[in-house]
Amino acid sequence: MAILLILTSMAVGWQRQREASAEQQAAQELDYRDWLNQDIRHPHDAAHQGMHVFKPAPTLSIVDPGISRYAGTTVWLQAHRQSDLKFRPAQDATGLQRFGDFSAAWVLQILVPLLVIVFGFNAFAGEREQGTLRQTLSLGVPAWRLLWGKALALGAIIGTLLIPAVIAAGFAVVLGAETGGRADAMIRLAWAAAGYAVYFGIIIYLVLGVSALTPSSRVSLIALIAFWIGTAVLAPRAASDLARRLHPTPAKKDFLAKMETDLSAEAERIWQEKFGVKAKWSPDLPLNKWGIALRVDDQLGYAVYRRHYDALWDTYERQQRVQEWAGLVVPLLALRSFSMGLAGTDFAHHRHFTEAAEEHRHLIQDLMSEDLVKHADTLDHQHFAYQAGKDLWKTVPQFQYRLPAAGWALRRNWPGLAVLTAGLILSFAFSAAAVSRLRVVQG
Amino acid sequence: MLETIDLTKYFNGTVALDRVTLRVEPGEIYCLLGANGAGKTTLINVFLNFLEPTAGEARINGLDVTRHALETKKFVAYIPEQVMLYGVLSGLENLGYFAALATGECLPRARLVELLATAGLDGGAADKRVSAYSKGMRQKVGIAIAMAKGARALLLDEPTAGLDPKAANEFSQLLRKAKDNGVAILTTTHDLFHAKQTGTRIGIMKQGRLVANLKGDEFSHTDLEQLYIQHMTDGMKP
Repeated sequence: MAILLILTSMAVGWQRQREASAEQQAAQELDYRDWLNQDIRHPHDAAHQGMHVFKPAPTLSIVDPGISRYAGTTVWLQAHRQSDLKFRPAQDATGLQRFGDFSAAWVLQILVPLLVIVFGFNAFAGEREQGTLRQTLSLGVPAWRLLWGKALALGAIIGTLLIPAVIAAGFAVVLGAETGGRADAMIRLAWAAAGYAVYFGIIIYLVLGVSALTPSSRVSLIALIAFWIGTAVLAPRAASDLARRLHPTPAKKDFLAKMETDLSAEAERIWQEKFGVKAKWSPDLPLNKWGIALRVDDQLGYAVYRRHYDALWDTYERQQRVQEWAGLVVPLLALRSFSMGLAGTDFAHHRHFTEAAEEHRHLIQDLMSEDLVKHADTLDHQHFAYQAGKDLWKTVPQFQYRLPAAGWALRRNWPGLAVLTAGLILSFAFSAAAVSRLRVVQG
Repeated sequence: MLETIDLTKYFNGTVALDRVTLRVEPGEIYCLLGANGAGKTTLINVFLNFLEPTAGEARINGLDVTRHALETKKFVAYIPEQVMLYGVLSGLENLGYFAALATGECLPRARLVELLATAGLDGGAADKRVSAYSKGMRQKVGIAIAMAKGARALLLDEPTAGLDPKAANEFSQLLRKAKDNGVAILTTTHDLFHAKQTGTRIGIMKQGRLVANLKGDEFSHTDLEQLYIQHMTDGMKP
């Protein structure tokens, strides 16, 4: 049942990704063609038209969609302002999207532990009840051997169930990635698999430890189910609430309002300084300074936007860190961010794209205002008579975006893996201690 | 081979074992008699380190069972009253599993079949699921495990309880064969007849104390029965 879910969700995801990718590429081509085919016009008009760029979906997003359903995918690079990314897939959801909610990552993170619980809760408690524990222990088998054997057995069960899914993921990666990205996607998949393996190890030892510790298999099952509900349902909410409390982010309205205020204040100051005028674009500004004014205005805008967005995004990342540290207590949290990070669907990757898009916007604006400074300002009062054509449009390259490499993702996410490994050691120690106290008879 | 020295065990204030001292030498069958709750099973549990003694010592082959828990178990094989095996596996598979656990190596099928045959298990039953076995059949698998282990001492808890006379007799014969091979055997039992038949030495336990320690050939069946009842009713000191 679980494998079916994983395979279905991956298949649905793969289909969606291919369609979206094709649409994106077409749209990107068309948009750039529109830019090149602009009529002869004043460069600043072209700057206002701007360009639309699209965020490509990483190959492994079919395994772990991360935030990609809630983050936008296209952004308009326009004059004077940095825009938000638009078109979140969650808004466009069709009925099939419901199915997509059960991503492979969700099944692995939430359902597989349940499976381990079901198979392992009576590993020791049940044998004690059955009487075979007495038989086994009387043979002089050391407790750690029993533990190791049972852990291997549980691991083998999970492994066998998941092999089809892993093979399917491998295929999807090979088929789905563009030629350059194939090796990168493979590395990401390998590291992600390692993370999941460590996570499963934690769960296995935890289940076995509880089974050895509790006096009956019924208590064992209840305790483990309670733990599962706690981690799967309660912990993520609690952790994100905690993160938001420790590092609060402003409401969108407030954020934008503050940014606007800063922008106006900054603009007033600089315009006064450079051009001696009270208001932006006041009629007192001489026309032969128009190009320069444009450039100055853009530059101050870049700085203000950068400051505010950086602060906001740094706060998001700090929230993320809190969740990762909470992973010491609830391994699921560490795995979630590790998995998203390696799949390329976490906030860091999103920020990487957004910053690259903003760079491209700067490029467009700067090229346009350079041209004005060179050719239009010299025309003095004829400034607005100046028009440029295809030669200028051609100087702006198409937006080429490369998704960050696996190494980049690993450098950012190794703490998550470290937390998981620490969790594994703790979990193993717990189960070893529990098994060494294994008692056949009360007293 | 099997030895207790002033072994004492308290459970929440009640005395389960009270300064019990006994010895079982190789080639001896020691039958421990006593009422339910006299402490017979507790004694075995202490030998297996399933319970820790409050005072005194239990030794197997000269080694203290609490300090050398794993080693001492290698010398001894334990057959409980109800031999518990994995119901979904066959008798042969159960033997194979436990024998491998005990000896550290996988025995070939032929050897397993031989062991089961020596233990007296019907050839056709070896491949059937243990959930279909009778108590006697399960016990035979238990014996086969003990033989596979090559143990020098046997701990048996009420082995003939619930067996029909023929099965009980077969069992006694197996015990005698082991005894002749120099194995030290400690059995607990209610079965006075069986005790007299097979026991080289006989002990009687009452409320945790060993109240009698006799040689098997010193008296007849009827004598033994009288002696037992006497002890049970008026707590005669030895």
